[in-house]
Amino acid sequence: MRSWRWDVNNYSVIGKRVPKLDALDKATGRAQYGHDLNLPGMLVGKILYANVPHARILNIDISRAEKVRGVKAVITGEHNPVHKFGYGADNTPLKADKVRSRRDEVAAVAAMDDDAANEALALIRVEYAELPPLYSAEAALAAGAPLVHEERANNLFLRYNYAHGDAERAFDDADEIVEEEYFLPYVTHAAMETSFALAVFDLQNRLTMWSTTQIPFLLQRDLSEALGMPGRDIRIIQPTIGGAFGRGLDVYPFEPICALLAKHSGKPVRLAFTRDEEFFATATRQPAHVKMRTGVKRDGTLWARDASVLLDAGAYISWGAVTPLVMMETTASLYRVPHAKFVADVVYSNNPPTGAMRGYGNPQSTFFVETQMDMLAEKLGMDPVEFRLKNANIPNSETPQGLKITSCGLRECITEVAERIGWERRSSVSSNQLSVVSNQSSVSSNQSPVSNPQSPIRRGIGIACTLNVGGGARIYRSDGCGATVKVDDFGRVTLISGSTEIGQGSETALAQIVAEVLGVRVDDVTVINSDTSVKPWDVGTHASRTTFIAGNAAWIAANQVREKILDHAAQMLNVSPNHLEMRDGMVRVQGDAAGKGIAYDKVVRAMHYREDGNVVSGTGWYDPPTKLVDKDTYKGNISAAYGFGAQAVEIEVDTETGQVRVLKIVAAHDVGRAINPMYVEGQIEGGAQMGVGYALSEELQVREGRILNPSLLDYRMPTALDMPPIESVIIETADPEGPFGAKGVGEMGGNPTAAAIANALYNAVGIRMNQLPMTGERVLRALKEKERMENGD
Amino acid sequence: MKPFTFFSPRTLAEASRILADHNGNGRALAGGTDLLIRMKRGQWTPRAVVSLNRIAGLNEIALNGELKLGARVTLNQLIRSPIIREYFPVLAATARNMAGVQVRTLATVGGNLCNASPSADMSPPLMALNARAVIVGAAGERVVSLDEFFVGPGKSVLQSDEILRELIVPYNSRAARASYKKLEHRAAMDIAMVGVSVAVEFQKAEFGNRNCADARIVLGAVAPTPLRAKRAEEILRGNILNKENIAHAARVAAEEARPIDDVRSSAWYRREMVEALTRRQLMEIRDLRLEIGD
Repeated sequence: MRSWRWDVNNYSVIGKRVPKLDALDKATGRAQYGHDLNLPGMLVGKILYANVPHARILNIDISRAEKVRGVKAVITGEHNPVHKFGYGADNTPLKADKVRSRRDEVAAVAAMDDDAANEALALIRVEYAELPPLYSAEAALAAGAPLVHEERANNLFLRYNYAHGDAERAFDDADEIVEEEYFLPYVTHAAMETSFALAVFDLQNRLTMWSTTQIPFLLQRDLSEALGMPGRDIRIIQPTIGGAFGRGLDVYPFEPICALLAKHSGKPVRLAFTRDEEFFATATRQPAHVKMRTGVKRDGTLWARDASVLLDAGAYISWGAVTPLVMMETTASLYRVPHAKFVADVVYSNNPPTGAMRGYGNPQSTFFVETQMDMLAEKLGMDPVEFRLKNANIPNSETPQGLKITSCGLRECITEVAERIGWERRSSVSSNQLSVVSNQSSVSSNQSPVSNPQSPIRRGIGIACTLNVGGGARIYRSDGCGATVKVDDFGRVTLISGSTEIGQGSETALAQIVAEVLGVRVDDVTVINSDTSVKPWDVGTHASRTTFIAGNAAWIAANQVREKILDHAAQMLNVSPNHLEMRDGMVRVQGDAAGKGIAYDKVVRAMHYREDGNVVSGTGWYDPPTKLVDKDTYKGNISAAYGFGAQAVEIEVDTETGQVRVLKIVAAHDVGRAINPMYVEGQIEGGAQMGVGYALSEELQVREGRILNPSLLDYRMPTALDMPPIESVIIETADPEGPFGAKGVGEMGGNPTAAAIANALYNAVGIRMNQLPMTGERVLRALKEKERMENGD
Repeated sequence: MKPFTFFSPRTLAEASRILADHNGNGRALAGGTDLLIRMKRGQWTPRAVVSLNRIAGLNEIALNGELKLGARVTLNQLIRSPIIREYFPVLAATARNMAGVQVRTLATVGGNLCNASPSADMSPPLMALNARAVIVGAAGERVVSLDEFFVGPGKSVLQSDEILRELIVPYNSRAARASYKKLEHRAAMDIAMVGVSVAVEFQKAEFGNRNCADARIVLGAVAPTPLRAKRAEEILRGNILNKENIAHAARVAAEEARPIDDVRSSAWYRREMVEALTRRQLMEIRDLRLEIGD
């Protein structure tokens, strides 16, 4: 536990709405993304995809492709190093023996321009002997199913089997039980910038790669495996990255392919995905088929829960296969439940390979857990808010799963959103009476749909909660991050952080932490975080960990600098360093704002220009006090802090078209402390937008292993016009382990949105949607089905 | 992109001659918002691209008894034109709900029609308004009712040397209260799953008279071409525009639709939505008539 030497109410930078360091560059188009880079002699790399779902490769003829003018290299599986790569160690850059999904990479070309590369791709002839394809996890698990990876005994990659208490028997003692089945779709990140790699080898055979990765140091290692070369000869540079959302959490074939093309052509090679490729050739979120039942006691105590999840991982396994760890956390620990069981099977198929995506299992599990909470409340005749409050986690407790919950503002979040959405209107908002139109709500009700009994429009209110790791997540053996802080002669403070900025704003949050410790302006802090040959090690941007983990590392490094400066200033001022503080760019005696002080850069200069001088720098390493989960029981405290949240939504349903419109979202999230409230709101709003898409419109339609809607037109992310006003409420619980009390918030915002919308839909029209997205068509079908049942047909 | 020759003629005759010379391997370029995307994807590989952008007079909007709407009029021009806003509000409203700002700045009415997409938004309201297409080709000029303009998905009556010059849209009281609704998955940047345009003319202009002299109902995205729901129109023609007749006409319009299942929607949903959108728009016209007797 860390004790903060600063007065909470007296921060100069923490908690302030400081604009992002790169805001102006991005807004004016000056920021350099990977796609903007151009090296002399640079070639264009392009990949040939199999477009057959499952087949043996008999022959690849590249002879005509090689003759195309401007083509400098054509490579196939023959050019692969022998080592496989990836979380499942099951993938190769180019496939030599067989293809296992339509998007399998079979050949690649480097050429002077796009046209030459495309022409060459079209001239490559591949002969296949097709094998029977597996288009679902169920088919892949059937007896006698063909093997996706023939070296394995079957298509089950991994079974997660978690239990606490005795769920089997506990259901006998439950007073009410709800049991449901859920179908969750393929969705994809659709980051604004498409996947990118630019590779060049120098004459010592060392590789430099510019990359949109989230995990530069793990990419170094993964590339060394995939390419069969020493990791020390690989340097990863991250230019400005235009979003990733989990896409960059693994090495994927295009990255080693890009390096192989550079190697074979002897030129820099740029491989930038087209928007089509971004849809069909990046790893998606796994589709899931879920069965879950929950039992409660009559007094509203959650009693037992039993979930089984079938995940179609597709043709290759990535870190996305680990999402059941997060799903089981929601299932077993979002609320206090004494008996819980969770089984998940991660299965190979000939569908597109899947991967990590924001929330990492949590939007899925929050959907089924939180919709079931509403069903239970209804069975009990209890108010859903009251039911949640009764079972909510409390501070300083440990869940049966072994999560050590320290700071916890879940109850505050629930109460806050219920009040702000006008929860008391819930029982009447969906009925047709004039009186229910609320003037308090900021929702535009110019058409007053509920006041007109003829109107096909119905309204509803719903709530859902979330639990998310907020203090890192130990899914690798290390959850560490390094930081170096140095100060130059003129007072410019440089933070060299191992962490990765992918657009989330963490680098500015880190600068604020350093600025607060050193009492300087954020403008005085430069953040360097883009080059593995410069920055200290880090496992990467994932699990909402950067502000917490990299923030603590930066805090440690900045404090070392602070102590050095204070020690020397104490000599200069002839006082004890314990009586000094750094604030407003000055070192002075604590509480003596008007008293004698000295500018901090003057102290630094003095330290540089003396006989026994020293560099003014500090180096921090932070690896949180957590454990990997036990490999058999999956129990253990994976994170040093947990974030909580609740969202309440008001929606409108058009009962003639089935279309749902979200009118308002109130989102309260316990983030420990908001280092920068603007970025916290940004994460909540961005998350909620992804959540609205997950709920209502986003689905990669995969049929027979083919993605049918690989475009921004037909993969329907909500536009600005589809988004309602979002009222973000920041709950601060000052986490004892977080930097200045902060916990992670990166993923939470998208977790509960879909469940809250589904609950509001039930409130509005009495239908339960167990399949996402809840499109107009699906809602209309459900409404008609309900009508038919009620008419007794 | 495949290599091509770019032409930028100053007259329609010259443009038509260049297209004729290329014998089906030429494409006219107006806004380019569809053409360039298809060329970049390799779906279209014209040997000649003939820009219409230096030809004078193609972007005119003029009302002189009838509306003359140049084929190169952009969606943004429609939205801003005082003539369109005042006398043909359905066209401005339709344009406003198409694509996004950048595309609307370039995309043209003519381009939207000539691509002959079954889901094109401009087709149903212009057909509901009984527009005619003025076509210029090597053999001269001809006028075709928009009802006859579309042949199949991506196919119109335009021959390879022909260019759409303008649309002629009659002005009458129907024009002022025509409407178009499209069903989308989201509030912007979307293609219609179903589009329905409705135009009704009443027998007498007196207050509260709801006897329907004529009605045109045009369905988009539910058949290989935009489709007039003629049986539904017949139900309304000469009859009072009341709830029963409206419901009946909407039901019949849904029967007339010939939708397919695709990535955007199922045929079942499309048919349901034809009924809902037809009913809704007719009811709105009725309600407006009752309220303000327009």
